Amino acid sequence: MSALLKAHHLNKNYGQFQALKDINIEIERGKVVGLIGPNGAGKTTFLKAVLGLAPCDGDLSVLGIDPFKKRAELMKDICFIADVAVLPKWIQVRQLLDYTEQVHPNFNRRKAETFIAKTKVKPSHKVKQLSKGMVAQLHLAIVMSIDAQLLVLDEPTLGLDILFRKEFYDNLINDYFTHERTIIITTHQVEEIEHILTDVVFIKDGEIVLNSDMDSLTRDYFEVMVHQNDYDKAMALKPLTVKKVFNRYIMLFKAASRDQVEILGEVQRPSVSDLFVAIMKEDAS
Amino acid sequence: MKNRIKTFSALLKLEFREHKGSFFKTPIIIGIVLVVMALLSYFTTDRFVLDVSGGDNLQLAIGSLQHIGDDKLNFALDVFMLITGSLYHFILFVVVFFFLLGSLYDDRKDGSILFYKSLPVSDTQTVLSKLITATVVAPACFVFGLMISHLMMFVVISLILLLNGLNPFSLLWLNVSFIENWGAFIIGCLVQSLWALPLYGWLMFASSVAKRRPFLLAVFAPLMAGFVWYWYNALVNLNLFKFGFFQTIGLLFAKATTPFSTGLGHKDFEKMDFDPTAQTSGEVIYSMLNGLMQIELLYGLLFAAVTVTLAVYIRRYRNTI
Repeated sequence: MSALLKAHHLNKNYGQFQALKDINIEIERGKVVGLIGPNGAGKTTFLKAVLGLAPCDGDLSVLGIDPFKKRAELMKDICFIADVAVLPKWIQVRQLLDYTEQVHPNFNRRKAETFIAKTKVKPSHKVKQLSKGMVAQLHLAIVMSIDAQLLVLDEPTLGLDILFRKEFYDNLINDYFTHERTIIITTHQVEEIEHILTDVVFIKDGEIVLNSDMDSLTRDYFEVMVHQNDYDKAMALKPLTVKKVFNRYIMLFKAASRDQVEILGEVQRPSVSDLFVAIMKEDAS
Repeated sequence: MKNRIKTFSALLKLEFREHKGSFFKTPIIIGIVLVVMALLSYFTTDRFVLDVSGGDNLQLAIGSLQHIGDDKLNFALDVFMLITGSLYHFILFVVVFFFLLGSLYDDRKDGSILFYKSLPVSDTQTVLSKLITATVVAPACFVFGLMISHLMMFVVISLILLLNGLNPFSLLWLNVSFIENWGAFIIGCLVQSLWALPLYGWLMFASSVAKRRPFLLAVFAPLMAGFVWYWYNALVNLNLFKFGFFQTIGLLFAKATTPFSTGLGHKDFEKMDFDPTAQTSGEVIYSMLNGLMQIELLYGLLFAAVTVTLAVYIRRYRNTI
C-alpha cells in the first residue's frame, strides 16, 4: 500500500527556535493516527505544514502534492478542523452550506443536512447563536459530508463537555471512517481517543520519539501489578515507570517478550496516556 | 475554468452576504434620512411661514412653480441629483475604506480563516474577490440604493405637489433626466474605483499584514513616513528628490472621494472643486472619462498591482494575528 503522506527531513525554524527537527514519517491509507505530544512539541507546526498553511524545509508530499505550493488543489481531497469554533460568526447555517456546496466539488449537501437534523442546530441559526458544542457538531457535520481521503483534526473537542466529546468521536468512527480514509488526530485527552486509534506518534521538542501501530505497542509494552514481595526482583528488570497503588506496584516495562514479566504478576495492556508519560520521562532522563 | 468562475461567484456572494448591511442598507438609510429631512423642512417651513405671514408665502412659492420654465426645473433637478450622487460617492468611499481595512484581518482575528482555508479556494481568489467586492459589488449596491433613494424623494415631492393641487407629472417626472444623471453616477463609480485602486491596494496590504489595528498601520504609517520625509528635506535641504508626499496622498483622496471632479484639476486642488451648477451631467461624464487619460492613473494602478500582490503573498503565510 502506498503512503498517503510522506515527510522526509522536515525542518522548521522560527528564528532561533527549531520547531521541527528532521521529521521523517510515512502514513498509509486507512489509518487513524493519534499525534500526541506536550504543548509546544511541534504538533500544530507539523499539521500546518501538512495542510499547506505554512512552508517548511525538507520533502513533504500529501497525496502526491506539495501542500504549501498547491493548497487549494489539495483541499479538494483533505479536510481539517484546526481548532474549535472557527466557523465565521456572522453566517447562517444555511448560507454556510450554500458556500461550501458552491466551492467544494466533493461536498454532499444532503448528507450534511441529515447530520445537522440529528442535532439542535437549525438551518436558520446564525453561528454566533450556537453554543461551542453546537458549532463543533456543525463543523463535524460539514467535514463528514466531504468525501475526502485525509481528515486532520487538531484539538477538535477542546473545551467541550464530555457528552459532546464522546458523541463527536462516536460519530466520526461510525459514520465517517472507512478503510479508504485516513484520520490524523491531535488531542490532550488521549484516553478518549485511544480506542479508535490504529497508530500512535509521540512527538517531543520537534522530534518523533515513537511511531508505532497499536498492535506492536501492546506487544512491546506491558503493565504489571507487582506484589511487595517481588518488588526488588521487578526493579532489577528496570521498569520505565513505577506507581504505588495500595500495597502493590504498577510497573511499566518495555520487554522483548511477555514471558519475562509474566512471572512477576498480572500483566495488562498499558494505556496510551501512561505510555506517553513513560516515554516522555525516559527521553528526558 | 467553469469551476473557477463558480468559486469566484460564490466568494462574491459570501462577501455580499457578510457586508449586506453596510453596502446595501447604508445608501437606503441615507435616502430615508434625506426624505425625512425634506419632509421636516416642508412642514417646519409651513409653520414658520404661517407665523410670519399668515401662510400665503408657501402657497405663492409652490404656485409660482407653474410659471418657472421647464428648462429651469430640469436644471434644478439635475443639480439635486448630481449633488446627492456626489454625496453617495463620498459615503461609498468611506464604506469601502472600512470594508477593506477588515477584509484580510477580521477572519484572522476570529480564527475563521482556518475554516476558509480548509476549502479548495486559493489565496489569490480570496484576495481578488475582496478587491472586486470593493470596486464592483459595493458600487453596484450604491447605484441601486441611489436609484431607490431618488425615487423615494420624487414620490414624496409628488405627494406634496398633489396636496397643493399641482400636477407632479408635468412639473416633476417629465423634467427628471434619469438616464443622464444616473449614468453619471454609474460612470462616476467606475472612475472612482479606478482612481481609488492604489488606496484600496494599500488598505488590503495593511489589512493582510497588521497584527493588531490595521487602521493605525494604514493611516499612521504613511503619515509618519511623510513627516520623516519632510523633516529630512527640511534638515538636509537636499532637494534632489522633490516629491510632494502629502500632496500626492491628498490628491488621491480627493479623486477617490469625488469622482465627478477627477477630470477637472490635474495637480491642482483649487480646480478640483466640484460645482454641479457649472456642468451638466453629460459634461461631467465627458470630463471624468477625459480625466482617465492622466498618466497618474497608470502610476496608481501599478502601485495597486504591487500592493495587492503583496497582500496575496502575505495571506499565504498569515493564518493568525
